[in-house]
Amino acid sequence: MTCEDFQLRLTAFSLGELEQDEVSDARDHVATCDNCASQLLLDRQLTALLRASAVPAPQETTAAVLAAVRAEAGAGRLAPSPRQPARRRHWLALAAAVLAAAAVLAAALLVVPAPDPGSPLSAAWSSYHARGQDGLGTPTEAEADRLFAVLGPDSRTPDLAAFGLAKDGWEARDLAGHLAAVAEYRDPDGGRVTLMRWRGDLPRVARGTEGGELAAYTWGRHTSYWWEADGLVWCLVGTIDQKRLYGIAEHLGGESSPATAG
Amino acid sequence: MDLEGFEAATVPHMNALYDAALRLAGDQATAQDLTQETYLRALRSFGTFTPGTNSRAWLLRIQYNLFCTQYRRGRRMPLVWLDEGEADPALELPSAEPGPEEQTVRELDREAVRRAIARLPEDFRMAVTLVDIHGLSCAEAATVMGVPRGTILSRLHRARRRLEAMLLPELGRVQADDL
Repeated sequence: MTCEDFQLRLTAFSLGELEQDEVSDARDHVATCDNCASQLLLDRQLTALLRASAVPAPQETTAAVLAAVRAEAGAGRLAPSPRQPARRRHWLALAAAVLAAAAVLAAALLVVPAPDPGSPLSAAWSSYHARGQDGLGTPTEAEADRLFAVLGPDSRTPDLAAFGLAKDGWEARDLAGHLAAVAEYRDPDGGRVTLMRWRGDLPRVARGTEGGELAAYTWGRHTSYWWEADGLVWCLVGTIDQKRLYGIAEHLGGESSPATAG
Repeated sequence: MDLEGFEAATVPHMNALYDAALRLAGDQATAQDLTQETYLRALRSFGTFTPGTNSRAWLLRIQYNLFCTQYRRGRRMPLVWLDEGEADPALELPSAEPGPEEQTVRELDREAVRRAIARLPEDFRMAVTLVDIHGLSCAEAATVMGVPRGTILSRLHRARRRLEAMLLPELGRVQADDL
């Protein structure tokens, strides 16, 4: 084998991919050629460097991927892992509902009749849509007392500073005959989030998939998340990234669930 | 479908999937999205996976197909071709002088290597990622990328010569026990 022959086969030889009948020729050549032996050493040093450059997945990536997989598996009615704690299973079911809902809602929108204009869903959308014109302020003391009397502690505006959102007003609104607490948030980039809560049942089109506890519903280009806890309907909608919005819904849903509600 | 079986077959390879995604996509957020979407697609098609075969190669193939069909158009990392022997002023390799903190130097080495790999053409970069970094055989990498095995070998050969030219200072510091 000449030096030129060896150089052409260097990578395959170094990786152990050289055809068997050529391996002994290559070894014989390296044994007698300092230049090619040096080149082989350099090639193996390069392999060591390359292998050491691997970047491990961040913990949050691993957690997010596993959560998505388990949610997807849940949506496909797989048996959950017996090692998963009950609390986790609850949220996996929520995540599964969201994923499944996201997958089917586009189609559902084609077959589900438009919401009754007099329904809380339509009223909620109108309330959200109207925000650009009239804004929110602060309820009067009497309105705040009435909201607390009807909705209980969940009438308070949750703190979402951990999600980079600042409170931007709240008020009482009548949503198709339902007294609702409506809160607005803003993020530094101008993103907007609206949270609405009232006592009642989830609107039919927002019930999500069978067994789901958190539903996604699309309003034009806006995705809203809906859930029910302790007889209250919660609706979260905004212009921020959907994943972020879902994270907030999951957070609020956890706080408003019977296990944690004060 | 068996979730535990799926996780047992695939979760040990998540580091490799993320690393490959990062090298393909060029940023962490897209790498996470690509990794997650790969796992979801793999879950949906787990019934077609043959137990006992290389699940890492199977996952990487799903990921590469996904990248080519859905992520490539929107990626932010430009393709950069370096001619043989061309000096690149943007590639700031760390000093060849050994520093007092060996670990720091090693991390600089790794960063230099990552940047050098990132500057390879995509096909070369993927071949290096699959074979050199994540240990697939050339035949497995050929299956992942949908090209003949000889093409993988050719890409690897050319990629390694470019990397050698870019990484000569680091190559001088590799210890015998690294080999």
